[in-house]
Amino acid sequence: MSETDHLIIDDAIWEELIELTGGAATICYQCGSCTANCPWGLVSEETISVRSMIREAQLGLPLNTANLWLCTTCAYCEAYCPRGVTISDVILGLRQLAWHDRETPPGSPSLLWSVYWNNNPWSQPPSHRSIWAKDLELHYYDPAKHDVLLYIGCTSAYDRRAQMIAKAIVHLLRAAKVPFGVLKDDEPCCGEAVLSLGHRQYFQEVAEHAAHTLDEKGVHRMMVISPHCYDAFKNQNHFLDKRIEVTHYTTFIADLIDTEKLDLAKPIDGTVTYHDPCYLARRNQETQAARKILDAIPGLKLEEMERIGEDTLCCGAGGGRMWMETDPGMRFSDLRVHEAKATGANLLATACPFCLTCLEDSVKGDRTSGLIVKDVAEIAALSCVE
Amino acid sequence: MPDIRIVVCMKVTPKPEEVGVDYSTNLLDRANARSEINPPDMNALELALSLKDIHGGRVDILSMGPPFFEPFLRVGLAMGAERIFLLSDPAFGGADTLATTYTLARGIDHIGGVDLVLCGEESSDGATGQVPPGLAEWLSWNQITLVDRIVLDKDKHLINGRREVPGGVEVLQTSLPAVVSVKTASNEPRFMNYRIKERVFSEDLVTIWGESDIEVEKTMIGLTGSPTMVSGLAQAPSRERRQEYLTGTVEQITQGLVALLNELV
Repeated sequence: MSETDHLIIDDAIWEELIELTGGAATICYQCGSCTANCPWGLVSEETISVRSMIREAQLGLPLNTANLWLCTTCAYCEAYCPRGVTISDVILGLRQLAWHDRETPPGSPSLLWSVYWNNNPWSQPPSHRSIWAKDLELHYYDPAKHDVLLYIGCTSAYDRRAQMIAKAIVHLLRAAKVPFGVLKDDEPCCGEAVLSLGHRQYFQEVAEHAAHTLDEKGVHRMMVISPHCYDAFKNQNHFLDKRIEVTHYTTFIADLIDTEKLDLAKPIDGTVTYHDPCYLARRNQETQAARKILDAIPGLKLEEMERIGEDTLCCGAGGGRMWMETDPGMRFSDLRVHEAKATGANLLATACPFCLTCLEDSVKGDRTSGLIVKDVAEIAALSCVE
Repeated sequence: MPDIRIVVCMKVTPKPEEVGVDYSTNLLDRANARSEINPPDMNALELALSLKDIHGGRVDILSMGPPFFEPFLRVGLAMGAERIFLLSDPAFGGADTLATTYTLARGIDHIGGVDLVLCGEESSDGATGQVPPGLAEWLSWNQITLVDRIVLDKDKHLINGRREVPGGVEVLQTSLPAVVSVKTASNEPRFMNYRIKERVFSEDLVTIWGESDIEVEKTMIGLTGSPTMVSGLAQAPSRERRQEYLTGTVEQITQGLVALLNELV
């Protein structure tokens, strides 16, 4: 910056940010531990200065958007923040301002339009939402008949690879004789993709619609596949009836094993390592259920990576990065595959469709890894004799 | 030079994958199809709004259709358009592209003072691409079709429209007023502005004109004004795909695939 460049504090931006972030940035005392801990420092010599972004937010300085869209909202920085600043709320608040100024990455308006016209962020027809299950004869959810709603989510509904997770869960639920239903083409989008891109105002609309639909269908308990949908329903959707119990599928399946309703009897000979999804482990402190499922499989040995549980390393797909390109060499999932390889495992397990996609891509790029990436549900289904 | 006034023609179309065919009558069944703004019209609106971003002026939306179009078209207001003019009257119903363009042209006359009319290149349901040239004919204005970019010279009251042609691009210049059709997917439509959305979805920003509100000849509108006759419809047999699944080890599948490809070359 030259001597003549003065920073101008904009009261309007400041006030709007306070409102958008609930004042999240105000308690920061600029120690910089967020910058030091940000995983971008692992793949780049020059990490992004999270601290500077917070400072700009505190002062209401005009937006510097260069690094704003790199954040994966993994919340690693939040775990180390001595002041308890909800840093990703600040980032998302800054992104909301960027929406007002139309300084968003190419493709992001199209993603929001897709949710608006298609009820999913994948630009897929809403009437094709349940095609993945056309041969499964699933029942439409009926609160009088079913214990739980299986919420598929957009990614598992439309992405061919992620559909295999949904099919595996159906297999497990049927083996355990759980009465469950699905909402087929009526299933509402949770809106997490919208929120992750920072458009909290539109997210509120999507969330309200989702809550209204679930209420209308008489849902009292729902099991969710993606940790992103799980977090959206559990922590972000303030319209949802508090009486609706929201569970991630790993917790639900682990309970079935605990209560001996599900028997994983078929041995799997091998070693598995488990990648904790940020939105389960760090955002929701759910780290044990997936391990319990893997532990229950005869013959399967669990070897842990260096960063596990709430200390997990993000796969790189959160914060809307799932819909943005990350150059090879800059992908967190490459590091994760490297760590998984070091455990000697032949199976890399996770419990999130986004993590699955990123890790599988990184394995494809590293032909020496010898790893097979699978969702915990897929591994459990292999061990489950119906 | 006064501010430029742009009108964007938009329509509401059924989602293509939800339109069925009644094979007993060979007619389209739209009854259960959800609606959306015709996607190419979103590109036309985005181009209009980007011109307004640079040069100021005013962007309005013109449409012809039933009253249920209104909430869909209000999306355009939330993107930044000023007002909607909806030509809605049972007398306009059943129009082919001749009667449609005639009616729209009279709507543009009635709005008055329009410098530039932008349309999507075609609709996702009719897909004739005839509306932009038809409008230009009725209005006796110049036209440029299938542009992906417009440079406006406000002082000279002319535009340069760029379009792709095989092997390169053409830049065509015309004085205003003019009609321009916009290439599908040539830009990324901006999302709605939530600072104004609530207001523009509730405020009185929609003008509905019927047959008696605009100057039209009764014989030129609706079904009466539509000389198009559908003499017959038939199903085109879809081409059978040759499907063959290769099984075995990776090596066996690869060898089988190479053998099949060799048969083709």
